[in-house]
Amino acid sequence: MNNLRGKYAIVGVGHSKLGKVPEMGPIGMFAVAARNAIADAGLTKADVDGLITRGPDDVYCHHQRVGAALGLDVTYSTSTDNGGASQVLGVAMACMAIDAGLCSTAVVGFGRDTWSRTHRTETARKRVNIGIQNQGEFGPEFGWFGAPSNYAVSARRHMKLYGTTKEQLGHIAVAFREHASRNPNAFFQKPVTLEEYLNARMIVDPLCLYDCSVYIDGAAAVVVTSAERARDLRQPPAHVMGFGFGNRLSGWFEESNMLTTGAKEAGEGAYRMAGIGPEDVDTAQLYDCFTQMVLLQLEDYGFCEKGEGGPFAASGALRLGGRLPTNTSGGQLSEGHTEGMLQIVEGVRQVRHEHGADRQVKDAQVALVSGHGGNTACQSAMILAREAS
Amino acid sequence: MSEYAKPLPYPTVESEPFWEGCKRHELLLPRCRACSGYWFPPGSTCPHCWSTEWDWTKASGRGRIHSFGVYHRVYHPGFEGEVPYVFAVIQLDEGPRLVSNVVDETPEKLDCDQPVEVVFEDVTEDVTLYKFRPAG
Repeated sequence: MNNLRGKYAIVGVGHSKLGKVPEMGPIGMFAVAARNAIADAGLTKADVDGLITRGPDDVYCHHQRVGAALGLDVTYSTSTDNGGASQVLGVAMACMAIDAGLCSTAVVGFGRDTWSRTHRTETARKRVNIGIQNQGEFGPEFGWFGAPSNYAVSARRHMKLYGTTKEQLGHIAVAFREHASRNPNAFFQKPVTLEEYLNARMIVDPLCLYDCSVYIDGAAAVVVTSAERARDLRQPPAHVMGFGFGNRLSGWFEESNMLTTGAKEAGEGAYRMAGIGPEDVDTAQLYDCFTQMVLLQLEDYGFCEKGEGGPFAASGALRLGGRLPTNTSGGQLSEGHTEGMLQIVEGVRQVRHEHGADRQVKDAQVALVSGHGGNTACQSAMILAREAS
Repeated sequence: MSEYAKPLPYPTVESEPFWEGCKRHELLLPRCRACSGYWFPPGSTCPHCWSTEWDWTKASGRGRIHSFGVYHRVYHPGFEGEVPYVFAVIQLDEGPRLVSNVVDETPEKLDCDQPVEVVFEDVTEDVTLYKFRPAG
């Protein structure tokens, strides 16, 4: 078997200005993020011969637009379409393409003007997301709009079967917001108390405002190359030790998919390639579109038993200094939603030991980074490590 | 009568007979001749055994609330004044799950696995929606 374990690494990370960036479009932000990631690696434009993007979902052949903005000709390039599972998939595709000899150094990134496009006008602000599910029937006529309802039904069923509480979900939101208070780039940096969480307005009950991720404008990118090449570059490499995928395409509402997700298969694949288990993970950067999705992944990635996600979160495990410091940037719930790309950036920074003592997971060797999306069906997971051995 | 302001379904060639059934106040499901399985939403191939031999079959209209969420946020102007409303995943007795609303009950009194039955709402001259209410 051709095992890619440790053969490739993320050698550069970068992002654009994050938050409210009305002066830039998504492609422009992406170009800035790519430039910053390439500079971070100590590489130049001439070194890049691969480009994998996941951008606004309304742009045809997105990678071509980004390549044009960067004046970049490459051998290997495509745009991915797995929603928030795309970014980890993009890194995996980069590793596989390099291994196949199709390119040698690839940029993987994401950019979207989500804050601007939902706040530019009063109409935009009020009519968020209509049509984004591209569904003409069996949904909109019943008022099924937006993503929160998918996770609301998951949360309610989880509560029914396992006794999970709203307060336990709150511990996830509160922990990530506390992490965001240490991140000057986070959209929301003011800590939230559990009481404030419990009193927040409902969006789709049982999910309230703080259960939902934050729309921002922003782009982020990473540079992938061989571990061998990485030794001569500017930054300590984050070795890609394993990756895995689970795509329960039959649907979120089918079988028990809203309770046990494709993250189970994604995690098994990633752990198998890396030759480790959940007990070896020092920090997790989980795809947190909603608190409920974090709770499910804590179970599916094996950090606790199925049904135990609530008590696990409430134990303080997710906090910096806890058993499994999770989303140490504040995550999408507080730093801002870039479809998981900033989760990869944070995973890299943690295994590089780049942060100050207040945000660094002490002696972090191994990070699990996850992606999730594609109308809830798609899951991706990746193990990053400081050492390739 | 004021104009109906909520989104209406846009049937496809494969779902048209389903919506025609709703107009007759019948809940129709595709049922496979080869494996007897049901599925939803309508599609030309049985997702269980991949047979293309199947029939539209009248469903019992009975099922259970698999789970539900209560919308407090308005995503569409047509639903202003409607919140809080119940979005539910209904498990039909025949097997398939579908998305609908639960009506005729306050959200606080609903629970997962609660039995429900279909009700039809003629929302315009051309369109009838299927919704569910607690079954006695």
